[in-house]
Amino acid sequence: MRVVIAEDLALLRDGLIRLLSAHGFEVVEAVEDGPSTLSALIGQRPDVAVVDVRLPPTFTNEGLVAAIEARRQLPGLPILVLSQYVEPLYARELLSDGVGGVGYLLKDRVMDVSQFVNAVRQVASGGTVMDPEVIAQLLVRRSVDEPLARLTDREREVLALIAEGRSNAAVAAGLFVSEKAISKHIANIFMKLNLPLSDDDNRRVMAVLAYLNARTAHPEK
Amino acid sequence: MNDGASNRSTRTEAMARRRIGTRASYLLAATTQTGWLQVARWRITKFIVVLGLVVTVVWSVTGASYFWPGWVWFGLLLPYASLLAIRVAIHASKRPSLAVHGALALILAATGIFIWLMGRLGYFWPMWLILGFVITLAVHVWVVPLFSNDREKVLERRVDVLTRTRRGALDVQEAEMRRVERDLHDGAQARLVSLGMSLGLADELLDSDPIEARRLLREARTGAVAALADLRSLVRGIYPPVLADRGLDGAIQALILAVPLPVEMNIDLPSARLPPPVESAAYFAVAEALANVVKHSDATHAWIEMGLEDGNLIALVGDDGNGGADANCGTGLLGIERRLVAFDGTLQISSPMGGPTIISMEVPCES
Repeated sequence: MRVVIAEDLALLRDGLIRLLSAHGFEVVEAVEDGPSTLSALIGQRPDVAVVDVRLPPTFTNEGLVAAIEARRQLPGLPILVLSQYVEPLYARELLSDGVGGVGYLLKDRVMDVSQFVNAVRQVASGGTVMDPEVIAQLLVRRSVDEPLARLTDREREVLALIAEGRSNAAVAAGLFVSEKAISKHIANIFMKLNLPLSDDDNRRVMAVLAYLNARTAHPEK
Repeated sequence: MNDGASNRSTRTEAMARRRIGTRASYLLAATTQTGWLQVARWRITKFIVVLGLVVTVVWSVTGASYFWPGWVWFGLLLPYASLLAIRVAIHASKRPSLAVHGALALILAATGIFIWLMGRLGYFWPMWLILGFVITLAVHVWVVPLFSNDREKVLERRVDVLTRTRRGALDVQEAEMRRVERDLHDGAQARLVSLGMSLGLADELLDSDPIEARRLLREARTGAVAALADLRSLVRGIYPPVLADRGLDGAIQALILAVPLPVEMNIDLPSARLPPPVESAAYFAVAEALANVVKHSDATHAWIEMGLEDGNLIALVGDDGNGGADANCGTGLLGIERRLVAFDGTLQISSPMGGPTIISMEVPCES
């Protein structure tokens, strides 16, 4: 699997290259700033990219901007965005094209190597991986408004786990219930959120997006 | 008449002498600078004294009845005394305009009295002159400051405010630094120490007890994650990264995403970024106000409005909760106020019992 890595700190860049190479990925290009990230993503069309949010020259959200722009030009280009901190606002921006193949994780998650490699594979195969921290920040809110208010507590739990990128089986294991029960919950979630019939992966992305979009009165720009 | 005149002459002479003496001592006191200026002053002084004495001698030799040298003394001394009085007045008082006024009044009154003494005495007309000066001085002392927008007063008040707010800003900064130090010490630093210990132990046990070593390694990893989480929350409290990335508009959007109630947001800011300290003060103020809404108000709905008016950043945070917010209870609102005041900003709270609460903040943002 061909990977592009964008990370400005040499220590972390080398670590990522070593880690991914050891797990059978082929790192085709490793870049260290915003503009070269975009050109590497477009030029290489990797199977998956791992991109740091904060990159030179501005050291703000250069990486995120490059990722979103690359996916605008090449819809569905799988990108896993890493950051020292997560911001639900950025998660929403990453997901807003509704195509999937997107991940947004804290850099901390790299320490759990097998889970991190799993996340990279999941993004490469078009899945959506959200950091539990994003979900936790959103769970702070009381549910008083549409459309999440229609979900039961259990359904909301299931949705949170889906947002983290877990499969039905993993969600079932996490909540100690059968996979069949989970499938039922998921069907209910899709129905209650009025998600159109399409392939399951895409509907999962849409569900997560609905989750992130809930309760932002600010009009979309 | 003759007797009277000679009497007067000795009196005036003595007066003149005394005046010269006083002036000379003033001169010594007032001029700390040495060199040509002082030399010139002494020459002028000597010139005045010598010329005064010469004309007095000429008068006594000619035996004239009318003490005309008094007018020479007067002509020599008046400009000098006036300049000196003004000079002393300017340096001696907190209100130089009043002091100069007083000095001039004094000189003119003295002139009047002198002319009266040199004339035929009789009716003491300088009384009216003195009365006039006293009245105008009184007006200057009491009435003028009441009506005039005294620049001095304004500046004085400004200095008071600046002194107070600078102290407040320094206090806020000091408290912040101490909090950061404490958080680092109790959080990330402690976790790294324990992480190092786990790693060390794991290293020792790797051969003899690999199962325990593995457990310790896992523990170390958990510790590293926790240390990072601590650092993250610390950084967020110092300067939220999203504020650097997106400016006030984006940072407040991000803030709202994490608030557990619907918040309506209406932000109208120019695309050019505001000065960073203003952005940061406004961000933390809005964050604190929102936190108060969540913690105390029992509101079901909140709103934020923000915009620029006449170079001032205006932010309003309102909710439909219970009201009764008071800056004097709890440190939150007080903290906002001190932060804002450091930028010449203001905080106003309207929160009647039963609500609604509206917190309005204003920060000048011209740099």
